Amino acid sequence: MSDEARLLAEIHAARTLMRASEPGRTDSRLGTAALWAYATRAVDGPVDLAVVRAIRADPATARRYRTMLAGQAIAHAPLAAAASDGAVASRRVGPFTLEILPADEEAPPLLVLRGSATRPPRAIEAMLGDETARLALPSAIDGAILIALDPAVPEAARLGAMLRDRACAVFLL
Amino acid sequence: MTGGYDECCAADLAAVAEGRDLSRESRAWLARVVAGAVRPNRDKPLWDLAHALAALARLTGARDGRDLVTLALDPWLARADRLEARFAGTGDAVDAHGPSLPDGETGWRTTWAGLARLLALAEFVLTAEELAQFAAVTGWLDDLAAAPDAEGAAALSRRLARHLAAYRHAHLPLAPLERRFRAILRFLDGRRAFTDDDILGFWRGQMREGERPGFRTIAEHFVTFEAASALLGGLAELAAPASLDAVEGWDERLDASLADLAAAEPAETLAALLAALPDGPKILTGAERDDLAEFLRLEPFHRTRPLTTLRAASFGRVQSGLANRLRRGGGGAGITERTACAEAETYPALAERIAALTAHLDRMLRIAAALRVPAEAEGLPPEARTALAAALVDIRRVRRAGFDDPDRLAAGFAAADAALLRLAEEAGRLARAVAGLARQRPLDAAFATDRDVFANAFAEAYAAEATA
Repeated sequence: MSDEARLLAEIHAARTLMRASEPGRTDSRLGTAALWAYATRAVDGPVDLAVVRAIRADPATARRYRTMLAGQAIAHAPLAAAASDGAVASRRVGPFTLEILPADEEAPPLLVLRGSATRPPRAIEAMLGDETARLALPSAIDGAILIALDPAVPEAARLGAMLRDRACAVFLL
Repeated sequence: MTGGYDECCAADLAAVAEGRDLSRESRAWLARVVAGAVRPNRDKPLWDLAHALAALARLTGARDGRDLVTLALDPWLARADRLEARFAGTGDAVDAHGPSLPDGETGWRTTWAGLARLLALAEFVLTAEELAQFAAVTGWLDDLAAAPDAEGAAALSRRLARHLAAYRHAHLPLAPLERRFRAILRFLDGRRAFTDDDILGFWRGQMREGERPGFRTIAEHFVTFEAASALLGGLAELAAPASLDAVEGWDERLDASLADLAAAEPAETLAALLAALPDGPKILTGAERDDLAEFLRLEPFHRTRPLTTLRAASFGRVQSGLANRLRRGGGGAGITERTACAEAETYPALAERIAALTAHLDRMLRIAAALRVPAEAEGLPPEARTALAAALVDIRRVRRAGFDDPDRLAAGFAAADAALLRLAEEAGRLARAVAGLARQRPLDAAFATDRDVFANAFAEAYAAEATA
């Protein structure tokens, strides 16, 4: 067979690869499955605290987590490299526009999401530094999804504060 | 063993193996698929994977790629029995043996065990390179979920084949290996059998050509060549199209041979296991582990080619020293001094070290036996009873960590005695092979001859650096 040398090289590589991947030779790091379960969790579902801690403590795990979110997101705006230059009231996330209407004496601030994709987003997740916040999204009314960022609801208040920061990454899931 | 992969690739494979708790055989299969050591078509596993995912998409009613990713990453589904329990009889994309998909006249099918391996491959392509292609692969799975049929599977398999080819290109530098094997094939000129002196002769040729590969590295190539040569002979016979039909099931047999080549557990790894027993008795010290790893790294040559084993241990180390000295740009003995091989460990000295290691492992083995079998057990011949009792007494004379604590000692040996047995056996075979060599030719004379050969080769190859 003409590709004898090629096959020998591949067998040799497979054999060396076997030795290099002996169990216990790698650093034990957070498993992909646990990270994926966290990335696809229901908004009101249980949270694996070990995963939350790993994302906070280990930049590489946080990077893998963001990659997973981006992989399943309908649209996302990555972590801005530049430092924040103050509060923002609106920003683009892929084909969507995200706007925060300020509170008045009768109503809390309102998050308004406009735009469309192959399917409507079911949740929004914001990531800023080692903080993350996730909120379920209701159905759109007249092409806009509206969520009250009620200060009495900690997750909503946190999401609102994070979204106002330009450095915040946003994933529409 | 060295060469053929980078750290990223080893880490990607280890992460999948660890997360799914893959058996040695499954890990070997995955390593072969990643390296491309699959025949007759190295993309066949990707074809199978795409069809398996299409079948799963049908069985589960997957809405999008995300649902398929969840199946691929689920460690619970890493085992054939659980896949069967979950999916058997759940829809039309499954038959009595495993998932299936209508495709042409015969259709596509695999077993539950096959599906388990394919899902490991799915995890690999999704998570490799720190998830660099995760979004892209998930997008392809979206397309498959939208059309989970033979056509969709074929389209996905083409994408996956391109993807894995690019991965190999980036992380598996196969070209230098292929070049070297081609040179070996040329050197042997059609022969499949070779001698210790062929290995040395080939290495000298490569040194002269300026490549300066390590003697150990070259010997490792010959290990692979020898292991694969029976397979290659079979392939050559099968190369004629007529014989392909004549030999039924040849691709399965080829696959089984390739699997054996990758999966055989090297004894060398057992040394690391014995030295790293957590909280257990120190059966092997770090130095003993390193010695054993050095002697056994060219398995099976420690049994079959003691001369090459001694050459690698003695002069291989001199050459590593030279290479390190050149990399660091200084330190220790000078180049000229090193090329003269004055520091090379003599073969009689190596033989003594081997004998000492063998004696130590045998002693540990007797202790392991004494801890397992009580000397007062019924039906033991008197001499065995005496030996076991003597081994128990001997424990107190071992001045090593963990030997003074009976509970730790028993637990440690119980966890290790299979590995210990194999290692003692291999060390014993090496000792016998070296003794056999010594009967043919005195070891000191063999060493003196070899030292001239290696010193010449080194002096020639490192002449520029020696005078710099």
